[in-house]
Amino acid sequence: MHIPDGYLSPSTCAVAAGAMAPVWLSAGRRVRKVVTNRYAPLTALAAAYCFCVMMFNVPVPDGTTAHAVGAVLVAVLLGPWAAVVAVSVALAIQALFFGDGGVLAYGANALNMAFVMPFVGYGVYLAIARRAPLTSRRRAVAAGIGGYVGLNAAALAAAFEFGIQPLLFHTADGTPLYAPFHLSQTIPAMALAHLTVAGGVEFALTMGVVTYLQRANVPLLRINHSATAIPATTEIPASRRRWRSAVLVFAVGALLTPLGLLAHGSAFGEDAPGALDLHRSHLQAVPDGLARYAGFWHHALFHGYGFSHDAHPAVGYIVSALVGMAVISGVAFVVVSLISRARSAAR
Amino acid sequence: MSWSTDVFVVDDVNYRYLERFVALAGVSLTVRAGERVALLGANGCGKSTMLKLLAGLIVPERGTVHAFGTELTEAVLDDDQFGRAFRARVGFVFQSSDAQLFSPTVRDEVSFGPLHLGFECSEVEQRVDDVLALLDIAELAERAPYQLSGGEKKRVAIASVLVTNPDVLLFDEPTAGLDPRTQEWFLDLVVELHRAGKTIVCATHDLAALDRLADRCVVFSEEHRIVGAGSPAEILADVSLLESANLAHVHAHRHHDRVHTHRHDLDHHETECEHR
Amino acid sequence: MTTPAWLVEPEARMGPCACCGRRTKGDFVEKTIAGAGRVLRATMFSSDLAGEDGYLQRADARVKVGSALALLLVAAFTRHVSVLVGLYTSTVLAASASRVPARFLVRRVWLFVPLFTAVVALPAALSVITPGHIVVPLGTWFGTPLGLTAQGLTAAALIVMRAATSISVVVLLTITTPWPRLLSALRSLRVPRAFVLVLGLAYRYLFHLLTSITDMYEARKARAPRDHDLVRGRAFVAATAGATFGKAHALSEEVYLAMVARGYRGQATAIDRRPLGAIDLLVFSAVVAVTLLAIGVDHVVVH
Repeated sequence: MHIPDGYLSPSTCAVAAGAMAPVWLSAGRRVRKVVTNRYAPLTALAAAYCFCVMMFNVPVPDGTTAHAVGAVLVAVLLGPWAAVVAVSVALAIQALFFGDGGVLAYGANALNMAFVMPFVGYGVYLAIARRAPLTSRRRAVAAGIGGYVGLNAAALAAAFEFGIQPLLFHTADGTPLYAPFHLSQTIPAMALAHLTVAGGVEFALTMGVVTYLQRANVPLLRINHSATAIPATTEIPASRRRWRSAVLVFAVGALLTPLGLLAHGSAFGEDAPGALDLHRSHLQAVPDGLARYAGFWHHALFHGYGFSHDAHPAVGYIVSALVGMAVISGVAFVVVSLISRARSAAR
Repeated sequence: MSWSTDVFVVDDVNYRYLERFVALAGVSLTVRAGERVALLGANGCGKSTMLKLLAGLIVPERGTVHAFGTELTEAVLDDDQFGRAFRARVGFVFQSSDAQLFSPTVRDEVSFGPLHLGFECSEVEQRVDDVLALLDIAELAERAPYQLSGGEKKRVAIASVLVTNPDVLLFDEPTAGLDPRTQEWFLDLVVELHRAGKTIVCATHDLAALDRLADRCVVFSEEHRIVGAGSPAEILADVSLLESANLAHVHAHRHHDRVHTHRHDLDHHETECEHR
Repeated sequence: MTTPAWLVEPEARMGPCACCGRRTKGDFVEKTIAGAGRVLRATMFSSDLAGEDGYLQRADARVKVGSALALLLVAAFTRHVSVLVGLYTSTVLAASASRVPARFLVRRVWLFVPLFTAVVALPAALSVITPGHIVVPLGTWFGTPLGLTAQGLTAAALIVMRAATSISVVVLLTITTPWPRLLSALRSLRVPRAFVLVLGLAYRYLFHLLTSITDMYEARKARAPRDHDLVRGRAFVAATAGATFGKAHALSEEVYLAMVARGYRGQATAIDRRPLGAIDLLVFSAVVAVTLLAIGVDHVVVH
């Protein structure tokens, strides 16, 4: 099931759509080269294919159903940006024509299944397949595993989007306005369904199709693997490899940040020294130095991870997370590039 | 308008699918203006590939294809002026109507070609109406092509190609899967178009209607080469050629104390029956 | 080629009707066939509805898309169930003004998501999940009183009505608007050409894929009708996925060649646009009125 309208608040939908806007623009620009030549029908076919895959709702032990997506398969065949287009189109058809997935929630669904999934899955695929020959079993298995991990990453993202709703959007008397389940409930529920059944289907599907194509239609595989010869192998440039692993690590890490919301209280009393459990640390009073430095960063940006005046603490948390991720990624990218440039200069 | 020059000159072309499966192994062919040519051969012998070469949809691995005096290469076909003119002058009707019809409505389908080839909007509308009326499908204009019956789809496919008034029409297995009435209608249409001066090339294995489809036949063997050519009458009489190309077979069975020999062509029309 | 012996001899098969054994739920493979068939039929029926002469069908697609978005936003921001019920009712009224059978709309809207949502949201009304004022006591749970809370029930009602209203609006939009006009309206909303092109083609391929999938499953059902084995079912799904992809890829190549043969070089065609008319003004003002009313009531009425 995709996220229907009514489960997510308009602000969550807007944030998700806002996050997807640069992704879509980027995909549109990169894919224009693909769309204007012979692979346009193939991208459309991939979209239709993903739609059909998402139609297979597999029953899950807890009574609900889950489904595979096929996004990583498309990423392996045509590249992750084409997967963004294909899955976004499939989701659009579902939302418009079959009421499966909301129109306002389209941004969130696209974020999970058209962005998180293909990129995480493709990163895993590249990391595992490495320099294996195009027709090797290793590549097929790598694709399968990529599908599995990607799907679960998407499920985790969806669980996060659901779970923060009652926390952020409720009336004065505590009535949740949108999805009523908390993170501690949504994450296990989504994880159960996708780690077991849906993930298995995605794995089998991705690996199955890649295996079939390795036997029956190698030129199709070659579209996205022009550097990979058959059966000889080619070196993927070291800096690209490292960059891709870094992206993968950050993607996974970013997705896990909201788990912090689950924990009651703050870690190690970081918000206010008074919150420290003094008895546990066998202290009589807050150490002097700690109390003095506690106020040092008070006026720093995003104090308490919220905006000034703490008007919307949780929204501030999310925005801070996104900004933080962007900054960290930027710094990491610069560092990695410098290192690899130094390495290749030394070689 | 007629040319004294050849419309198509194919010189010793080779083509393989997926870099593995041979489709054409050294084939040469000439098509003159105003001719009706039938490419005969069993399934998989290269007829469709030849048509795609003539239509400039694929380029040969070896050998050349000249159309209207110009060699067809990817660069030439990409060129704005020649490319557009070429596409408007050569119409290709695919074997599978499902592949050919990809627009949401029949009207959109038929307008696709002229709109993309730079015709004026008003002229497009006029021509679309005319061609729909000509092919008797005017009431299907707002329907979705994939919902139509086989015969209706074929008419829409032909309409979408006729609307640019091409000089050459390429048909891939045009009568396959059509009901008898639509088949008759199609054969009459071919005669009409020929009378209007169009060049027609059909790939077919339907020997029954050959005299109405073609002035000249070219036979492809299963080895992807041309093994014979001539008028329909000549080809139909040449039993050994037809058998070697897998276009006919002789089949015998018993009736009580007598043995029958039938000659069947690919569609199992009895062309000869000997009683002994 | 000689005919194998087992093919020319009769085979011992069915005994008398074996009506014993438990009646299991249809396996998910079966449900998927049914689902795919239903999807095909529903959409074909919809395209007929889009041709009817109702009010919404005559309105311009751009007005409808804009109105739909406005209504969806209003539904999303509303805090009271009563306002949502009102919005939903107005969609039903609009449907009847457009010759859309009420039963069709109700089935399309309620069959999946709102029912599913109700099932999912009801446990949220329990006091352990949504604490608050208990209105339906259900005993105790380890000492603390357990029951359905007012807040929880309101939450469940809110989410169900929101889902129903939103889907109703979207379904109305799509069944009263022919597909090419919808695509054209999307383009006027600045959706990039590449996406709209792929969207159009994908929709077209979808029917082919769905048809070939239903054919495959019908063939399987004909050969092994009672196979509820989940593992085999999943294996079948995976195995046929590859074959479907290969078959469909061949089709996509042909389609591309057919497009090139008629002059396609990467651009998208222009679809004609009609000027806005009286019906559009009517629809627009009706939507504005409903929107303002909904917002007004939502803010003024305080529970």
